[in-house]
Amino acid sequence: MTAREQMVLDDITRVSGVKSAILVAADDGLVVAESALEGQATEAAAAFAARLAQRLAALTRTLHTPPMSVMLLQATGGQLFVAAGGEGLLLVAVTGNDVNIGEVRLALLDAAGRLN
Amino acid sequence: MRALEPWVEGPLRTFVAESQVRVALLMTSAGQVVAQHGFTRSLDVMTAAALGAGIVASTRELARETGAGTFGAIVHQGGKQGVFLAPFSMPDAQWIGLAVFGPDTSIGLVQLFFGRMVDDLVKTAPRTLPGREVLPETFEDDLNASLRALFGR
Amino acid sequence: MTDDIAAMTLELAQDPNSLVFLRLAEALRRKGQLDAALTVAGRGAGRYPELADAHDLLARIQADKGDGDGAFDAWTTVLRLAPDHLGAHKGLAFIAYRTGDLGRSVRHLTRALELAPADTSLASAIERIRSMMVSRTEPAAGAPEPAPAEPRAAVDATPTLLFDQQGRVLRGKLERSDGVDASDAVAAALAGVSREAERATRMLELGEWRAIAIESGAVNYELRTPTSETLLLVMRGREVPAGRLARIADKAVDQARQWLEELA
Repeated sequence: MTAREQMVLDDITRVSGVKSAILVAADDGLVVAESALEGQATEAAAAFAARLAQRLAALTRTLHTPPMSVMLLQATGGQLFVAAGGEGLLLVAVTGNDVNIGEVRLALLDAAGRLN
Repeated sequence: MRALEPWVEGPLRTFVAESQVRVALLMTSAGQVVAQHGFTRSLDVMTAAALGAGIVASTRELARETGAGTFGAIVHQGGKQGVFLAPFSMPDAQWIGLAVFGPDTSIGLVQLFFGRMVDDLVKTAPRTLPGREVLPETFEDDLNASLRALFGR
Repeated sequence: MTDDIAAMTLELAQDPNSLVFLRLAEALRRKGQLDAALTVAGRGAGRYPELADAHDLLARIQADKGDGDGAFDAWTTVLRLAPDHLGAHKGLAFIAYRTGDLGRSVRHLTRALELAPADTSLASAIERIRSMMVSRTEPAAGAPEPAPAEPRAAVDATPTLLFDQQGRVLRGKLERSDGVDASDAVAAALAGVSREAERATRMLELGEWRAIAIESGAVNYELRTPTSETLLLVMRGREVPAGRLARIADKAVDQARQWLEELA
């Protein structure tokens, strides 16, 4: 993990309600870099986020629309954000439900731009 | 799925279901097969167990020679499928897990659920494990006995 | 009242899981502090998504704020959780009346009257609206101007595909930008996604999954599960913001459920 990656991820976790921010290898679902509150299962979030992104890529391929830029999985107990993070990478954030979705989305897109 | 030790079956079954690997093999560090899923012929199991144990042993030796400490999992990602091979510690023995996976899963998921299976195995393991020293002269007999049990022959 | 609000605010701060949020939000609503009431009720409904009264409260606050769409969504949620909720039927009757859908308004009022037969105001409201329906070709003075039925129209204008977990199309159609029907291919491609999402939220301890929103260039998608056996995909251009697409998806889910019920 480079200092720049760490700084970018730390900026995401500063957004209120964000529990973890992870840079993930899109094909493997492995953690490349992370910034997380204590006790957060970043390995699991990375693996599942990458898997979901792979599955949903079939949708955009089928409908001939551009690759996914942002995905948000909403659940009763929290949310999983995934953004395309550059060459073969994904930016993932796990949050609670009491979070400003627009702010997290912008933080991820900003981070993706800084990493590219 | 076949397991020599019944308590192994639950954790291995969960691992296979959750990680969606195609083939899984658990063995002792000496190559003694403990459980398998997805193999159809005893010869395949024999080859995989021998090669898996050999790769882990040689990798460990390489790590020792180069002062690299210890290696964790060994992953080979091919075009259509990948191989995951990882040694792990049971209460009184070293075991090895081998999994073959396709594009319907990922290394991250295999690694994640492998870790959980190891935790489950350690929790459910009886005090005495099938990890006794296997002498070269009894190795083949042991392996054949394991294969008979695993394939019902 | 202010002291009560302060005490309830303190109680909620000390125990965010407390159900006191219901009384606190109601007290704030009555005091006219609608934004604060909405925040409290929204957080409470987030913590207790299966609590019908929380969504009912949310709906009443949104109705007070003039947010008809928000109130409609919340009361629809109430009816999903508690089909015989008197307040929700009254609320939806009111919204339908405001939007000029008098038939729907009467249906909700009739159900409300069945639930509360002693409420004479319901019977007279039904009578009044029925007489308006009869003379609808010549609207009476003072009758509400029917508002454009945007929610329904928005749903109707949205490409929507309902399919089952086995990847079989049930209803709707999705086309590629070149006009080729891609419904079967999309249903097949997304058939297992619900299980993946369910597994991800279970393993990450996020609870039950509700929606997946996807941004893809000039297109936004939203994926829902109207029932445990089905998936619904809605698709709109980026000119429809994600928040509005979510509301359109809510309504599409309601329609899909209704259609599935009629089919059963």
